[in-house]
Amino acid sequence: MNIWQVLSSTWNMEPWVLISALALLVGYGIATGFKLTKLSALYISGLLIFVLALVSPLDFLGRTYLFSAHMMQHILLLLVVPLLLLLGIPKALAEKALKIEPIGSVMRVLGNPVVAWFFGVGAMWVWHLPSLHDTVLANDSLYIAQQISFVLIGMIFWWPVFAPVESRRLSPLVSTLYLSSACLGCTILGMLITFAGAGLYTAYLNPVDSIGILPLIREELCLTPGVDQQIGGLTMWVPGCLIYLTASMVTIARWYGASEDYELISDSGTDGLVTATSQENK
Amino acid sequence: MSTRIPIVPENVKPLPALKENEGMLTWVASIDHKQIGIMYIIVSMIYFLIGGLEALLIRTQLAQPENAFLSPEVFNQMFTMHGTTMIFFVVMPLLIGMGVYLVPLMIGARDMAFPRLNALSFWLVVFGGILLYYSFFTQSGASEVGWFAYAPLSEKPFSLNKGPTYWALGLLATGIGSIASGLNNIVTILTLRTAGMTMRRLPLFVWMILVTSFLIIFVFPIIASAFSMMLLDRLLGATFFTPAHGGSAILWQHFFWGFGHPEVYILVLPAFGIISEVIPVFSRKPIYGYEFIAGSTVAIGLLSLGVWAHHMFAVGLGNVANVYFALASMLIAIPTGIKILNWIATMWGGKIWFATPMLFATAFIIEFVIGGLTGVAIASVPIDWVVTDSYFIVAHFHYVLFGGSIFAIFAGVYYWFPKFSGRMLSETIGKWHFWLTVVGFNMTFFIQHFLGVMGMPRRVYTYHDFPYWGSMNMISTIGAFVLAISVIIFMWNVRYSLKHGKKAPDNPWNAWTLEWATTSPPAVHNFDLVPPVRGRRPLWDLAHPDNPDEPNAKIV
Amino acid sequence: MANNKMLIKFFIASESIFFVMLILAYINFHGSNVEGPNAVNSLNPLRTGIFSLFLLASSLSVWLAGRSLVTKNHFMMKIWILVTIILGAVFIYGQASEWLGLIAQNITISRNVFGSTFFTLTGFHGFHVCVGLLMLSILLGLAMFGDFKGPKSDGVECVSIYWHFVDGVWIVVYSVIYLWAFL
Repeated sequence: MNIWQVLSSTWNMEPWVLISALALLVGYGIATGFKLTKLSALYISGLLIFVLALVSPLDFLGRTYLFSAHMMQHILLLLVVPLLLLLGIPKALAEKALKIEPIGSVMRVLGNPVVAWFFGVGAMWVWHLPSLHDTVLANDSLYIAQQISFVLIGMIFWWPVFAPVESRRLSPLVSTLYLSSACLGCTILGMLITFAGAGLYTAYLNPVDSIGILPLIREELCLTPGVDQQIGGLTMWVPGCLIYLTASMVTIARWYGASEDYELISDSGTDGLVTATSQENK
Repeated sequence: MSTRIPIVPENVKPLPALKENEGMLTWVASIDHKQIGIMYIIVSMIYFLIGGLEALLIRTQLAQPENAFLSPEVFNQMFTMHGTTMIFFVVMPLLIGMGVYLVPLMIGARDMAFPRLNALSFWLVVFGGILLYYSFFTQSGASEVGWFAYAPLSEKPFSLNKGPTYWALGLLATGIGSIASGLNNIVTILTLRTAGMTMRRLPLFVWMILVTSFLIIFVFPIIASAFSMMLLDRLLGATFFTPAHGGSAILWQHFFWGFGHPEVYILVLPAFGIISEVIPVFSRKPIYGYEFIAGSTVAIGLLSLGVWAHHMFAVGLGNVANVYFALASMLIAIPTGIKILNWIATMWGGKIWFATPMLFATAFIIEFVIGGLTGVAIASVPIDWVVTDSYFIVAHFHYVLFGGSIFAIFAGVYYWFPKFSGRMLSETIGKWHFWLTVVGFNMTFFIQHFLGVMGMPRRVYTYHDFPYWGSMNMISTIGAFVLAISVIIFMWNVRYSLKHGKKAPDNPWNAWTLEWATTSPPAVHNFDLVPPVRGRRPLWDLAHPDNPDEPNAKIV
Repeated sequence: MANNKMLIKFFIASESIFFVMLILAYINFHGSNVEGPNAVNSLNPLRTGIFSLFLLASSLSVWLAGRSLVTKNHFMMKIWILVTIILGAVFIYGQASEWLGLIAQNITISRNVFGSTFFTLTGFHGFHVCVGLLMLSILLGLAMFGDFKGPKSDGVECVSIYWHFVDGVWIVVYSVIYLWAFL
């Protein structure tokens, strides 16, 4: 088999993926009235990436042969898909949903930045503990649970920054700190994986070569276990961090674009002269 | 809790008070941000002269092939101390000092949030430097291991002298001082802004200081832990960085560059801030794309944290790692390019007034672009493999640090000197200073690009008489002496102008930020009254009540 | 004033990077000492775990001191600060005796990379605990002379934030050094 044959023959139409994506799509359509807007385009592209990440060869290769493929899928499911889904939710819908108890109070707890941060960074770290990762690969239902948890936790993680309702968002500067500290968390993990030396995840060392493409991967593509693991670690580290960074830039750009906070201008004293600010008169 | 205990006497005279013959106590015991800022600048200037002297000794040794002016050991000490001094005791304290002086004035505050902490930071830097230079008086002299002190060369078995120990101790003290001033700046900028001075109206210099301060508090702990480990290795026989005993020399490189690369941006971001203040004032236009300059600074700050491994392409991290880091490093060119374009767009169509600050700012753009372009070149792995550890690298980082930071600092000194001292620097001498700096700088360093490509390695105390090497090095050395003359002219300008300079009005350049609203030099309490802030250019609004900037300042 | 608390929070952010680096150094050398002393054959997780409980309890007591400050219960605040100091001191005693035990077996900072990383990491943490104890003692001394009547005090609140941080660091350090070796 050459590489194109591999890529064309390893699509795996998992029913649970298609059904859940369809359910999410229909649910969204019912809630928003089946109109194609900018928001729904974001939402639908999120669903598309969700489906692609789980039925395309990325999923097959990531489960059996390549850690790097797993990591790309992981980045898509944890960082990209939930972000797009969250951005696609209209403000009015979210406001309505948040009024319904217990959704409102649950999101107040989960949307707390500290909680959300630990969920987001924790998902990355815990699911990549070597022993746990190997177990997950061997167990189908655990694998499905893992993928679903990525998307859910991803939404929790992005909530404090990109919640559809502005009042639930952190201020732009705090968002930047929130995202850059998360970036630090994924940098450290990526670094550890990159420099750990081959064989951190034993399942990828000698995969069961069910369709006979191991020589192709190892020799023609030169993806030895060491190189594969390095690509995986670096994918988490560099592009992963770039997503956080881009998100911080978006928040800052949005802040500059927003209209000036007039409360601060009408603050007492600004119309006339004031004395210099100091600790004492603060 | 708010009453202060008067442990030290509060100074009562406006600055500068030295000539009033009141003794040094008003300065040594001062917790006033203006005095501390000036002391930062004076101390860094002293270190600038020392570091420059070391550079001259290096260049004299290299002026001709097979020279025996300096012994190899002394040569090694010279380049180590030159690099360390210029980075940690010249550029950083100069920029921090200008920040400490200007930030409270620019945001309309009485002082820094923590005046005593401010004094502590300054004195830690001073004593860190003394600790570093004390090593010259120990047996077999100062550190000889280069400013990045690669293990295992810096470890006990290979450096038996005390030099590296003092080096690490001195830098540890300085680093703690820098963290303290970073924390102080952050809290000051976030909490002590005058009414109306929202984050979106902050002068860009203050923005840059804010981002730099965040970088400082997040990367200096990295090097503090690395220095601690190095000291434990050297003093208690720990084995962190000694491969012979199970340690890892590469670990030092990761730690060092994890700090060292963001450090480059700590050295250059405040310089960007100075340029962003000078260029609009002397082009008589508001800054073009304020949002982009501030936003791209944040992007540079964040990106800089994740690209250190491009200093380690020759180490053997593997091709995959090299490729990722090369790509990430090249990304930094985007936000940096945005800034350059914004400055040029600000000048475009403006009524440009080429006073000395503007001359330096314009030269900064050109020299920094050269340094930036070579930077993008060596971010590419194959090019880096050819020129790494050659004079090409030396030329590159001098274009960034001298052509970038030092040019901007000169621009800033000429720009704010009237505010610091109440007198103008001489424009005539200033122009001589400027042109000699440009000629000397380019003569010294441009030719080093070629030397590097021809294969001359850095940090060699002498070289064989290969074709052209001798003459090219001689040109570089002559350039260094021209540069030295320009620095002497600058010092003389400062000395002369302090005594005989033209009296400076409050706002000699017709600038728009708050520090020009107060007297020159400012009173101890900074402002009698702070003008209202309704836009990004409060003094423009004050002078043109009929035509103020829009509050939201959509000037793009 | 909000300034003081903001300062201590950013200071803690800076400090955590310092500890992250020390922990990374430990992780980097984890498993490189198969022979000779290492975490598995030299440490006693149970004993240190028990002493850790004292440190964790001290976080609770310093929180209670903060509550007493808010309710203006000056006497209980002094008691809780004293309890915190005692609990912290017990923890430091545990650390010191562990160190002495290791040194008696000739496991020192210069023995191998396990020794280097272990003593550096726990040493810097212990140093931070000692600094915290010093600050708590100053608080107690000032309180004895009648300071901190409540309901607010930046001094008490900042020291309390710092103390929680020192505690949190220990949870990570204990997990990385002890739990990782024995689980």
